[in-house]
Amino acid sequence: MKKIITASPEGTEGWGFKIGESLKIKEAGIVFLYGDLGAGKTVFIKGIASALNIPKRDVGSASFVIVAEYETSPPFHHIDLYRLERDDDIEALGIWEYIDSDGITVVEWAERLSEVPEEILKEAIKVRISHCNENSREIIIEGVPDSLFA
Amino acid sequence: MGCILYTDNYKILGIDTSCDDTSAAVITAEDKILSNIVSSQSDIHKRYGGIVPELSSRRHIEMIWPVVNEALNRAKTSLDDIDAIAVCYGPGLIGSLLVGCSFAKAVGYAKGIPVVAVNHLEGHVFSIFLGKERPDFPFISLIASGGHTSLYIVNGFGQYAELGRTRDDAAGEAYDKVAKLLGLGYPGGPIIDKLAKDGNPKAFNFPRAYIPGPFDFSFSGLKTAVKLRVHDLEFKGQNKKMGLLNDIAASFQSAVVDVLVRKVEWAIVKRAIKRIALSGGVAANSELREKMLEMAERRGVDLFLPSPYLCTDNAAMIAAAGHRHFTAGNVASIDLNPKAYLPL
Repeated sequence: MKKIITASPEGTEGWGFKIGESLKIKEAGIVFLYGDLGAGKTVFIKGIASALNIPKRDVGSASFVIVAEYETSPPFHHIDLYRLERDDDIEALGIWEYIDSDGITVVEWAERLSEVPEEILKEAIKVRISHCNENSREIIIEGVPDSLFA
Repeated sequence: MGCILYTDNYKILGIDTSCDDTSAAVITAEDKILSNIVSSQSDIHKRYGGIVPELSSRRHIEMIWPVVNEALNRAKTSLDDIDAIAVCYGPGLIGSLLVGCSFAKAVGYAKGIPVVAVNHLEGHVFSIFLGKERPDFPFISLIASGGHTSLYIVNGFGQYAELGRTRDDAAGEAYDKVAKLLGLGYPGGPIIDKLAKDGNPKAFNFPRAYIPGPFDFSFSGLKTAVKLRVHDLEFKGQNKKMGLLNDIAASFQSAVVDVLVRKVEWAIVKRAIKRIALSGGVAANSELREKMLEMAERRGVDLFLPSPYLCTDNAAMIAAAGHRHFTAGNVASIDLNPKAYLPL
């Protein structure tokens, strides 16, 4: 587990980029993002996506579509559970199929997942973002090798 | 274009299942609406129980036949008299889009009716043609809804140049998220619009994001600023102050409206275009309509506004874009697949 303080949205995005690069090498992975409204989850995901050569401008909030799929290699799935409050809806979304599928899956509002199978939780990178002040954020990252922070 | 004779008998069935609502409509090739059914706004929804729209595609499966039948009945027609089916194939929630597309393909195949595929955003652009006043080309089109905030130059049917779009949250999404954090319910637009009427728009100075891409939008920072301010007020124990909600709503709304009006104004000045059309759920907002009209009058340009019920998602707009595709010969094949991500 590693705690980072970023001073700007660019800093938050930069850490997303780092995580994205490590996922790109593995060509697979799951990232669970936790954090309140406006914490910077989408900004972090823009960083991950740009490591996968997806233009930052093409990555926005996925709250409305819930799943934004990018036909990249490896495929990238940006899932946002903000509007889903019932377990039934989350199940119906087919979230576990996305997670099991090839490619990289990022889940925003992962706190909405009431039961995550142990093996998925073990495999996933967990990112918790919270406000310090207007631009500064505290980011806690779990599930990546320490070498990433060197 | 085409050699199909336009008559009043030429009917198009439109279908939209891109988001929470199941919608079906019948219109003529002259853009006359014969019926336009939206599940959450219809009695069918009550019959099937539930007020809050469910997100699951199962709901669309349950609703699609009743909604289509209602649309056909209200239009006093049947599938035998439908000349084409226009279906929305994206962007949207993939599981929901699949229901509409599979339905359209199956019915089209069984009844021998051609199917045309319509981009949801193109539907919004053509919602303006369902009204009495229709713009000539070219015109500037602002689509502002819960899922999209984009600005286009529309040079003709099928000729769209994107000027900009949101880099994070859509304008309608900012409304929904701010309404939720204020504990106001869903959808946020109409609730905030109403509260704002009795509030002071200058009570809080929320940020207007004029980001480098001159026609791109950003509403995420505004949402965060409102959230931080609300926390601050709670902390200071001022959150129970009379009229506070009205002031927050008015200040937030004026920030959204300022940006939308300013960007459209830049577009008409820079591109020397004399016509503006608004669409999408946010286009139903009273302050946006008022401020956009003021700007249009000041600049001497024509503003085209759909009726509020045609601003929000509906299948008539899908049919409006759809019959233009049909006339142009763009018929979808049986292997039509929906797409979650589909730029116009």
